[in-house]
Order: sequence, then structure tokens, then C-alpha cells
Amino acid sequence: METRQETFAAGLVTALPIGLGYFPIAFAFGVAATGAGLSGWEAAALSVIIYAGASQFLALALLTSGAALPVAAFTLIAMNLRHVLYGPALMKAAGAGAGKRHAWLWAWGLTDEVFGAALGEIARGRRFSEAGMFGLGLLPYAAWVSGTVAGALAGGGALAGWPVLEAGLAFLLPALFLALLLSILTRPQVPVIVVAGLACVAGTLAVSSTAGILGGMLAGALAGVMRRARA
Amino acid sequence: MRWEVLALALVVGAANWGFRYLPIRFGLGSGAEGGMLGRFLASVGPAAIATLFVASALPFVAGGALLAPVPGTVAVVAVWLWRRSVVLATLAGAVAHAAGFALGL
Repeated sequence: METRQETFAAGLVTALPIGLGYFPIAFAFGVAATGAGLSGWEAAALSVIIYAGASQFLALALLTSGAALPVAAFTLIAMNLRHVLYGPALMKAAGAGAGKRHAWLWAWGLTDEVFGAALGEIARGRRFSEAGMFGLGLLPYAAWVSGTVAGALAGGGALAGWPVLEAGLAFLLPALFLALLLSILTRPQVPVIVVAGLACVAGTLAVSSTAGILGGMLAGALAGVMRRARA
Repeated sequence: MRWEVLALALVVGAANWGFRYLPIRFGLGSGAEGGMLGRFLASVGPAAIATLFVASALPFVAGGALLAPVPGTVAVVAVWLWRRSVVLATLAGAVAHAAGFALGL
């Protein structure tokens, strides 16, 4: 097993599939934003300042439906509440003494996918480093912002003539999550993964995709607590 | 740029930054190695990745096209077992899914 420290360059390489996955989604966001009446600058500002995919799409719906600003803000903030768990979980996996001096900056890039990739690298024996986190976070952020700008400039239907390419790009994120899951998979984690997956399906079908994601994470983590408590 | 768009972005963006950074800054969960919180945090990672995989894959089967994700999924698993590379496995999955789409799966 590797024991090398994660470098900035290694972080960039690890982030490559995330960037490839983000670009077309951000492109779609840029197209949708301009289609909903936002200017290119407004679309870009949402991606630069919010940097959270699902909540940005929801922001479009809220802005165009005329929702009151406090209601829209509260809804979007609640949607991203799950990110509270990522930092502590990452630092726990990184171990005692892991640097966090520059976390005020690299933590901005701690999205779902970057968090998963960082955990995967640690599980594969790479030692956590802040330089690695900068590399891991920079490429996806750049892809997200540039994809939004490209989508806003291209306008509606830009990928309509390339359905096979569109299909392949659409599968990048599920493929990435599956690969990340395989990279951290160990036998003791199987119950956690099964419970999380089932709870996600149940929450999505019964309530919403946001409830499914939050419920799946919490149920899986609680399953881990219960299993280890009995062990 | 309309002020309500900028204000919404700034408020939500500030909250996102706080959610991502402040738990690290204040060391939430540190020193909880053997406790319930420590076990909870150790399980959050696998649970989150499993949840996000399911959430991102659900739309592909929700439309009734149950075979649609099969080529991509098989490719991800096969390339992961072969090369143990997240990058290659991900890209292979996307290519296989596109090929399956082109073939009408």
C-alpha cells in the first residue's frame, strides 16, 4: 500500500474525473440559468459564490417563481447542511496532527465529490496534506465555473446535437461515486453502505432527493455506530 | 446584475463556506476517538459516498430503463478490479454508458 503524502499535482490528477463530471453539469446549469432569464454574469456569480450544484438549480426555480429572499435562502442553506459532517469526518480519517492552517481556503472546495475523493486517497494509503487538498479542490471549482460560463454563452440546446456525448457525460458522476465506493470498500463497511443506500432510496421515493441524501447519510452513519457498539 | 440574485448568492455562499470550514476550524469531533461521535464520524464517509452513488444513479433507472446503467456499471467495476484506478474506472464507465446508449440500451 502507498504511504506517500498527497501532493498538489497528485490532487489535480485525482480530481480529473470530478472536473470532467462537473463541466457538463455546470454547462447545463449555465444553459438553464440564461434560459430562466438570468444574465451570464448572474449565472457565473451563482457558481462562483454558491458552488453547490443541486442548490444552484433549485435557486433558479426559486428566483423565477418569485420566492421571498429569506425563504429562498433558508431553503438553499438547509439543502447544504450535510456539508457540516464532511470536515470532521475528513480530519478524523486524516489522523492526529493533520494540517488545517489553510483550511479556511481549501475547505471551500469540499464538495460531495471532493470529500469522497479525499477519503478514497486516504483509504489507499496516501497521507493527507493541505497541498493535496488544494489540488483536489482547484480543478473541480475551475471546471464548475468555466462550465457555467460556457453554458451561459452557448445558450439552450447546445448539446442537443450530440446525444451520445451527452449520455456519456451524464454518467460521469455515478461512475465516479461507484469508483470511489470501490476504493474505500472493506467488509466491515458493507452494512453501513447497504443501510445508507436503502435509506436513500426510501427517502427519495417518500419525500425528496434532498431528504434521501440526508437520510441515507445519517442512517448509514448510525448503522456504523450500532454495529461497532455491538462488536 | 440584480441585487436579489447577488444577495441570495452571498447569503447561501457564506453559509456553505461556514458549513465546510467552521467544523474543521473548531475541531468538531476531535478527541472523540472511542466514543459514539468518533464512530459516527468514521462511518459518515462510506455512508455519504454510498448515498451519493445511489442518488446519482436513481434517475437512470427511475425512467424504467433498467438496463441503461448496466454497461457503465460493469465497466467501472471491471476497470477498478483491473487497474485499481478511480480515474480510469470513472472514464471507462462513462465511455461504456455512452456506447450502451448508442446501441439503444
